[in-house]
Amino acid sequence: MTEPTHTKNIREIELPQPTASPMVTAFGFTLMVAGIVTNWIVAIVGCVIMFVGIVKWFGQSNPESKEMPAVPAPKPTPIVPRVDGVAHLISDSGHRARLPLAIHPYSAGIVGGLLGGVVMALVAVGWSLAMHGSLWYTVNLLAGCMLSDFAEQTTEQLYAFQTAGIIVGVMIQLVMSVSVGLLYGVVMPLLPRLHLLFAAILIPLMWSGLTWASISVINPALSEHINWLWFVISQISFGIVTGWWIIRSEKVSTMQNWHYLERMGIDSPGVRKMGEAE
Amino acid sequence: MRLAGDSEVSTLETPIGPATGRPPFLSQLHEWVTTVDHKKLGSMYVVCGIIYMIIAGLEASMMRWQLAWPGQTVLTPEEFNRLFTMHGTTMVFFVGMPILLGSANIMIPLMIGARDLAFPRLNAFGFWLFLFGSILLYFSYFGGQGLYGMGSAPDVGWFAYAPLTERTYSRGHSTDYWILGIFVAGIGSTATGINFIATILGMRCRGMTLMKMPLFVWIMLVDAILIVIALPPLAAAQIMLLFDRLLGAHFFDAQAGGSALLWQNLFWFFGHPEVYILILPAFAYVTEIIPVFSRKVIFGYPLMVAATVAIGFISLGVWVHHMFSVGLSPLINAIFMASTMLVGVPTGIKMFNWTATMIGGKIRFDTPMLFSIGFLCQFLMGGLTGIFLATVPFDWQVSDSYFVVGHFHYVLFGGLIFGILAATFYWYPKVTGRMMSETLGKWQFWLLIIGFNMTFGAMHVSGLLGMPRRIYTYQTERGWDLWNLLTSIGVIFQIAAFTLFAINLLHSAFKGRRAGDDPWDAWTLEWSTTSPPPAHNFDEDPVVYSRRPLWDLKHPEDPDWKYE
Ligand SMILES: [Cu+2]
Repeated sequence: MTEPTHTKNIREIELPQPTASPMVTAFGFTLMVAGIVTNWIVAIVGCVIMFVGIVKWFGQSNPESKEMPAVPAPKPTPIVPRVDGVAHLISDSGHRARLPLAIHPYSAGIVGGLLGGVVMALVAVGWSLAMHGSLWYTVNLLAGCMLSDFAEQTTEQLYAFQTAGIIVGVMIQLVMSVSVGLLYGVVMPLLPRLHLLFAAILIPLMWSGLTWASISVINPALSEHINWLWFVISQISFGIVTGWWIIRSEKVSTMQNWHYLERMGIDSPGVRKMGEAE
Repeated sequence: MRLAGDSEVSTLETPIGPATGRPPFLSQLHEWVTTVDHKKLGSMYVVCGIIYMIIAGLEASMMRWQLAWPGQTVLTPEEFNRLFTMHGTTMVFFVGMPILLGSANIMIPLMIGARDLAFPRLNAFGFWLFLFGSILLYFSYFGGQGLYGMGSAPDVGWFAYAPLTERTYSRGHSTDYWILGIFVAGIGSTATGINFIATILGMRCRGMTLMKMPLFVWIMLVDAILIVIALPPLAAAQIMLLFDRLLGAHFFDAQAGGSALLWQNLFWFFGHPEVYILILPAFAYVTEIIPVFSRKVIFGYPLMVAATVAIGFISLGVWVHHMFSVGLSPLINAIFMASTMLVGVPTGIKMFNWTATMIGGKIRFDTPMLFSIGFLCQFLMGGLTGIFLATVPFDWQVSDSYFVVGHFHYVLFGGLIFGILAATFYWYPKVTGRMMSETLGKWQFWLLIIGFNMTFGAMHVSGLLGMPRRIYTYQTERGWDLWNLLTSIGVIFQIAAFTLFAINLLHSAFKGRRAGDDPWDAWTLEWSTTSPPPAHNFDEDPVVYSRRPLWDLKHPEDPDWKYE
């Protein structure tokens, strides 16, 4: 015999009774539909079967569903507490490591990205003015990312001012600068050291490599006309400005290792004050 | 099902006393046919899904035999068209859907501490609609050509583009079978989707707030919402097509003022979310498995929830990327290219969170974890080629080539099927009470890794070399011979792997090691009850305090609720 509490508990649990009516209804419905591709008699038979199923189903669920008591089953093995301790990844910040503890503010990334984007654009437009005598050349090339018909344009057309080109070009530059700047801001605190080297040289080089590998797919217009040296230089100018701006911003702590009460700003005995060191 | 040897409580007096010994076959059958138990219905879904997976796999194998060398005559062009249509349709609607619905059926109530789904009879209704719908589709092999004599299956491809589906081009009834079979099953899926939403929102146990739900349940909630949004447009489009075919309407008949493009829009408005409906469950499986086998809590729970919701939302606004090559305006193409790239962000977040969960963890390389890692690598590749394909100029080059076929098999096979295999090895002990063989599982894993990458990796190359999809043969001077042969040889490895899987499933059901309640030392509620669980799931209603209720019980000195 199992202990009486178990038996009593189990008696109170009720489960819906097994019933064939959903199956009968589904079968009738399928036959009804199959009548369309076989014979109308099949559809009629299906209709009747479905009707029988629905009536039975309704009878079982309204107004009072037929329930049946649950059958007692073997009990699960009780879960025993473990005596051994739990090894924490980082002992001083709870067993969930949330790093980093201090980050550059997002605004630094956004502003840095914008600044970098402006400087990069100046470099690129300067190159286009000096080498090609056109203010709009690089802008149009960049716009080729989204405007696929630019790939077919002649160099003369690309030299000329084009409204669509300037709108799309500026948009791309803006969105890319802000997002990359933001990424810079998030990623840089994760790097162990040599922040400016990463920001100014390594990341622009990796980005240029990625672009080099994929440019013919993403932007056929640019891939035909691109000057890689200047491309890299403009990327590096972005990296230097954005990286410099982010590094000089003051880091803010993330509250990641704070107690819940602290994060809510609740002042109570035993809980350290906002932002206080541990 | 309760096992005969386990009935130590059979002396207890109950109104419908439990059986001692195995009941006769007919009453067992009756029990399964009339059941409204979510675990039994779920198991039937999964078993049917696996049977259809074998059928659809054999259909694919026949196609690969035909394509292994140039100029083969194993299949006629007509047979080939039917095979790729049935392979695609079966895999999407009768393998992916039932296995996801089945696994959610079994696991959602167990994970949220409920006794069943909100509407158990509706749940049974959904299952039977799926089964009868699938039988109706396969019946077309006998009845498909209607007045024209011998049977034939549909041959219009799984997305059934208009106007080829119009009566002028598709004679007989084969296309009608395609419409009706999926239509019937689709009603069942929608009903079950509503059932899941109601269950998750209304039947969680005490203490389980939305932000304490297992991520499996979160992902299935988003999945159910997608099902409810995406399937009705398909049903509507199918009814319109039926009107065209049977009642002389002209919705998709361009010559009579209809629009063939309308079908593409309606179908892909369903079809793209459908891809996410299929892949999200794989996310759900590995999100449960990876933390347990890394012995670490999932990294970034709130972000995972947000990413899931974002994926669900964005996936409703990207469908035109299937139509880049039909010649829409550059502006529309650009918008949908951008929205498609956007899906990469939440999906990338998930990839990072899974890897971050593994980093620093104490990883156990059991079979569920192996398949989860396989999922991570292969789904990543499928995702990356997806980004390629989202780029309009690239898509123009390779649209409708084997590159696309390779891409979506990396997503749906390398992603979904690997996820399903991981889930099978992980939850099989809970459902049957016995462990699957680790040795067979590891053999299966490596055979499948080899076969899978050989088959679908080579497809990318033949696609880049210009091989279009859906051709039944090719000439030898095109340079595709080697890649097609490799693709077909890979299939042999895959057949070997799935044979081992079938043996493992059947053998372990009778001879597998007894699992006990909690074989993986896991943390969610389903492991706190017996394996297999009783019909009522839990004797007492569980109460939870954190996202890992079993961890709290096992480690009272260091419970999770202190940190959440
Ligand atoms: Cu899509």
